[in-house]
Amino acid sequence: MKKIVKTREVSSFLFLIALFAVVGLINPSFLTSENIISCFNDSVVYIIISVGMAFAIFIGEIDVSVGANLGFTATVVASMLRDGQNWALAFATGILIGALIGLFNGWGVSVMGVPSLIFTLGTNGVMRGMMYVYTQGAWVENLPADFKQLYSAELFGHISVIFVVTVIMVIAVHILLKHTKRGRYFIAVGDNPAGAALVGIPATGTRVAAYVICGIFAAISGIVFASRIGFVTAMSGNGYEMKAVAACVLGGISLSGGVGSVIGASIGAVIMASISRLLVFMELGSTYDNTITGVMLITIVVADALMQRRNAEKNRRQRLAARTAAAGEGGNK
Amino acid sequence: MNKSFSDKMKHFLKSWEMVLICIMAAEFIIFGAANAKFLRPALLLNSMNDFMSICIISLFVTFVMITGGIDIQAGAIVGLTSIIIGVSWQDFGCNIWVAVLIAIVVAAICGALSGFFIAYCGVQAMVVTLGGSFLYAGIALLISNLASTASYQGISGFPDSFRILAKYKFFGIVPSQLVIFLILAVLAYILLHRTKYGRRVFLVGVNPQAASYSGINTKRVIMSTYVLSAVSAAIAGIVLTSYLGSAKSDLGSNFTLNIITAVVLGGTLSTGGKGSVVGTALASMIIGMLRFGLPLCFKVGTQYLDIPVGILLLVVVLGRSIAGNSSVIRLMAKFKKSKAA
Amino acid sequence: MPAKALLNIKNIYKSFGLNEVLKGISLDLNEGEVLALIGGNGAGKSTLMKIIMGIYQHDSGEIYVKGEKVTSNKTSAALASGIYMVPQEPLLFPNMTVEENIEIGFDKKKADLHKELVELIDSVGWKLDLNRKAGSLSIAEQQMVEILRGLLRRAQILILDEPTSALTFDEVESLFKCVEDLKAKGIGIIYITHRLAEVFEIATDVAIMRDGKVPVCGKVSEFTREMLVKGLLPPDAQEKEDTIKEHLKKVDYTHQKPVFEVQSLSGYGFTDISLKVYPGEILGLAGVVGAGRTELATTIFGKDKVLSGKVILDGKDITGLSTRKVIEAGLNYVPEDRHYHGLFKISDIAVNTSSAMLANPAMGKFFLNRKEEYQMTQKYIDDFRTKVTGQEQLVGSLSGGNQQKVVIGRCLSTSPKLVILDEPTRGIDAAARGDVYSIIHELREQGVAVLLISSDMEEIIELSDRVMTVCQGRINGEFTGDEINQDTLMSASFGITKNAEVGA
Repeated sequence: MKKIVKTREVSSFLFLIALFAVVGLINPSFLTSENIISCFNDSVVYIIISVGMAFAIFIGEIDVSVGANLGFTATVVASMLRDGQNWALAFATGILIGALIGLFNGWGVSVMGVPSLIFTLGTNGVMRGMMYVYTQGAWVENLPADFKQLYSAELFGHISVIFVVTVIMVIAVHILLKHTKRGRYFIAVGDNPAGAALVGIPATGTRVAAYVICGIFAAISGIVFASRIGFVTAMSGNGYEMKAVAACVLGGISLSGGVGSVIGASIGAVIMASISRLLVFMELGSTYDNTITGVMLITIVVADALMQRRNAEKNRRQRLAARTAAAGEGGNK
Repeated sequence: MNKSFSDKMKHFLKSWEMVLICIMAAEFIIFGAANAKFLRPALLLNSMNDFMSICIISLFVTFVMITGGIDIQAGAIVGLTSIIIGVSWQDFGCNIWVAVLIAIVVAAICGALSGFFIAYCGVQAMVVTLGGSFLYAGIALLISNLASTASYQGISGFPDSFRILAKYKFFGIVPSQLVIFLILAVLAYILLHRTKYGRRVFLVGVNPQAASYSGINTKRVIMSTYVLSAVSAAIAGIVLTSYLGSAKSDLGSNFTLNIITAVVLGGTLSTGGKGSVVGTALASMIIGMLRFGLPLCFKVGTQYLDIPVGILLLVVVLGRSIAGNSSVIRLMAKFKKSKAA
Repeated sequence: MPAKALLNIKNIYKSFGLNEVLKGISLDLNEGEVLALIGGNGAGKSTLMKIIMGIYQHDSGEIYVKGEKVTSNKTSAALASGIYMVPQEPLLFPNMTVEENIEIGFDKKKADLHKELVELIDSVGWKLDLNRKAGSLSIAEQQMVEILRGLLRRAQILILDEPTSALTFDEVESLFKCVEDLKAKGIGIIYITHRLAEVFEIATDVAIMRDGKVPVCGKVSEFTREMLVKGLLPPDAQEKEDTIKEHLKKVDYTHQKPVFEVQSLSGYGFTDISLKVYPGEILGLAGVVGAGRTELATTIFGKDKVLSGKVILDGKDITGLSTRKVIEAGLNYVPEDRHYHGLFKISDIAVNTSSAMLANPAMGKFFLNRKEEYQMTQKYIDDFRTKVTGQEQLVGSLSGGNQQKVVIGRCLSTSPKLVILDEPTRGIDAAARGDVYSIIHELREQGVAVLLISSDMEEIIELSDRVMTVCQGRINGEFTGDEINQDTLMSASFGITKNAEVGA
C-alpha cells in the first residue's frame, strides 16, 4: 500500500487540507464535518469526469469533448428515464454513447494523427449542437424521484452512497492501472513512446483505448450529473472539459503524458469542486472561482515545465560530462 | 519574381484560397436559392456585424498557429476588454478613449504573460492559454463586480462618439466593422507576408531549431504572436462593445471553436509553418455566412450552429490528414500515372 | 564442444529509397560469444540492429534465431525469441520506478516477478534501488536497467549499442564485469563500439562493418590493433591518399595572425580545447561521433554554456555571445544534423537561403527586400550548381546533396570570416560531394577560414591543410603535411596515439 502514496498525490492532498485549514482560519464556521463532507459529496461528477480525462492526458493527449459528452449522455439518459424506460437500458445506452464518442476521438487522434485539441474541439462543437437537436432546446425535467435519490442517498454520517461508490471505483481503477500489464501501458505510451515500441507495446491500440475509457467516464459522469441536478438543460456540461483538465493538473498529472494517477485526478477534482464553496465561506463570492482556477493552473504547469526542463538539461549535461571525464581518467593511466 | 502574370494566375487557381472562394460562392448560390433575402446587400452586409469580431481575432490567431502554437484565450480577452472599457468609463470616470487605450494595454499584457510562459518556460501553448482563458475571464468577472450595475445587465449608455465606431455605415450601407476588418486584414497580410517579422514567424513555425541556428530569437517571435492575437482580441472586444452598446464580461466566451475552425479552414497547418492571412479571412467569412445563412434560409436554430462549424473543422482536419497519409499519396501517384499512360 | 548457434544472419540487404545501406551482411553469433561490431558512422550498424529487432524489415536475406528462420517482422516477435537490444540512449520510462520499468509487459504475478528480479540482480551482483524513478538514474544505471530488462525476458541474445559511450571509467569496469558474467552464462552478446581497446578487453569475436558490408571478421585473438585500424579503412586507401595529396599546396601559417582562436575552452562534452585557424586555412577536426566536436561547435555558436576559456574571432572576444551576435561577428555554422537544425523543409529555397540574413539591413529595414532575396538566392544556386526547378521549389523535395548546398549557401550569405562545417557531406551522393568540396576549396581561395568537422577520414585528408584529432572531449593530436594519413588519424580518433596507447 506504500505504492499508493506517491509524492505528487500527497502534495495535492496536502494542498487540499491546507486550503480547508486556511478557510477554517478565516471563517471558523466552515470547519464542521457537515461542510467538509459536503465538499467531498459535491465533487462526485468532477471526480468521474476527471478520472476519464486522466486517461487521455496519461497518453500525452487531451480530450476537450468530455463536457459535451457529459451533456449529451445526461440528456439522452434523462429523457429515457423521464419516459419511463428501463434504468439498465438507459444507463447502457448512455455508456454506449460515451464509448462511441471516445472511439471516434481515438480514431481521429491516434489513427488519423490529428492534433487532439483540435479534433476534440470539433467533436465538442458537434455534440453540443446535437444536444439541442435532441432536446429541441427544451429542458429535460420531471425525472423519477428515485433516480434523483440515487445521488442524495446518504450512507452514514453525512457521506453519500455515491461518493463512497466513486471512491471505491477510483481505487479499483488505480489498482488496475498500476498493477496489471495492460493498465501500465497507458502511462508507458505517454511516458516514452519510442521506449514503449521497443518493449512491444501496441501504441495505437492503447491510445484508442484511452479515449474510449475517457468517453465512458464522461458518460457515467453525465448520468450522475442528471441524478444530482434533477434536470438537464442544453447548457449542461458546458465548461466541464476545462475543469477536468484543471483537476488533472492540480492532481499532479503532467500534461506531457506519462505522469500521475487517477487518485491525483480525483483529489484535483475535489479541489476544483470545493473552490466555490470555500469562496463563499471566505466571503468572497464565487466570482473569484475562475481567477483562482486560472492562477493555480498556470502556476502548476509553469512550475512543472521548468522543473522538467531543468532535469532534462541536467541529464544531458551529465551525459556529456561523462564522456569527457572518462577521457580524463583513461588518459592519465 | 519575374514570373509572368499567367503563371501567377495558374498558381492562384490551384491554391487553397481558390477552394475557399469556391466554397463561398457555393454558399451564396445555395443560400440565395433557398431564400432570396440572403442576397439582399443591406441584409447581408448588416449580418456581418454579428461575426466580425471572430474574423478579426482569427486573422491574428493565424500568426500564433503558424508558429505551431494555439490560442484559446482570445475569447476571454474579448470579455475582459469589454468590461474594462465599461468600468473604467462608467465607474472611474475615464474618457471613453482613454478607457479603450487601457483595455488594449491590459490585453497586450495578458497576451505577453501567456506568451512568456509559452516561449520562455516551454509550457504547451494549449495549457497556458487554457489557464489564461480561466484567469482572464475570472478577472473580467471581478472587474464587473466593481461596476455599479449588475453584471448580467452589462454597462450601457456609452457616448455616441464611441457607439458610432461600429454603428457607422459607409455609403449608408457598408458597416464600419467590415471596414475595420478589411483594414486589419490588409495590415495582417502585409505584416505576415511582406515583412521580415512575418518571415521570422514562418521560419519559427517550420523548424524552430533551424530558425535559432539562423540567428533568429525564436522565443521573442513566439511571444510576440500571443501579444498580437491578444491585441486583436481587444480590438474585437472594443468593436463588439461599441456595436452592442453594452459592456459585458462574458462577451466572446464561445468564440474559441469558431476562431480555431476559421484558422484551420483557412489553410493554416495545425503543426505550424504554413498559413495565410487571405485564407483565414476567407474562411472566417465562410463561417460567418454559414452562421447567418443557415438560420435565415433553412430555419436552423442559432443554438445548433456549433454542429456545422464543428463538422467543418473535423472534415478539414481529417481530410488533410488523409491527403497527407503516405499510402494515399502513393495511391494518388499511381492513379495519376495510370491516367497518363 | 561446439557452441550452439544463437543467431545467423545471411546476406541481408536493405535500402532506404535509392540509398543502399546494407549490401549483403552475414554474421554469426554463438552461445557465450561477445561479438564486437566496429565501424564508422553510416556503416549500417544501427540499421542492421533495427532489422534484427524487427523495427525495420530487410529487403532480402535471411535471419535465423537458434536455427529457426525468422518470418515475423514484429518487435514483439523478436522479444519473444529472446533478443533484446539496449539502445545507445536508453529508452526507459523516466517517470516509472526501476522495477516497473523492468517488469512492464509481463503477464506474471507481481510478487513472482519481484522475486525473480531480486534473484537476478543478486546473481549479477549489482546494487540497484528498485523504487527509484528511472529519470533520476545515471546513464550507467539506466543501461543496467535495460540489461536487466533483457535478462528478465530470458534474452539469450543481447545487443549492446555503444554502451560505454556515456559511462565513467568505474562504470565501464562494472559493465565489463557484467558482460563477463553473461558470457559465462552462455548468453550471446553483440557489442557495438567505437573503442578498439574494448574489443580486446571483452570481445571473443570481432566484425568490422564498412559501407554496408562486413569486410573483416573473426576471432579477436587473430587480430592486432593495427589490423583492425586497417580494416576500418577502405581497401584502396593508400593509393587514393597519394593522388589526393598532390593538390595540397604548402602554406606556412606560422607568421600569420590567426583569424580564429579558441583558448582552453571547456563546455559540456569537451574539455580544455585550444586551437587556431588562419585565414584561408582549412583545419580538419577528426574524431568519432560523440567525441565532443559538435558540442564544441555549437557552444562556440552560442547554443550552450561555456564553462571556461575564450573564443576570439578576428581580435574580438565572442565567448558566450548569442547565436545572432556570433553570426554578426562573422562566424557561421553548417550544422551536423541537416534535417533537424538546418532545413526549413516546407519552405522554398529562397526562404531557406535568406533565413540567416534576416537580421541584416541589406534584407530591408522592416519590409522584406524580395529583390535582394531573389538575387542572393540565385547567386548561390548558380555558384553551387544546385539542381532546382526554381527558387520556389520546396527544400524538402530536393536531394540530400542539393539540400546541403542550400544550407551552405545560407551559411555563407552572412559573409563569415570563419565557417564551421560539421559533417558537410554526410548522406549525400558522390557528385554532390565533389561540388561541396569545390565550394570548400573556393572558400579557401577567398581567404575564408574553415573549421571542418568530419568523421570521414578521407574527407579530412582530402580537404585539410592541418588536422587535429579529438578523442573523448579532448584534443589528442595535431598533424600537418605528410603526417595526415588515414592510419594516424584513425588511430588517434580511436584513442590510440602512436607512442602511448590510451587504455592499454
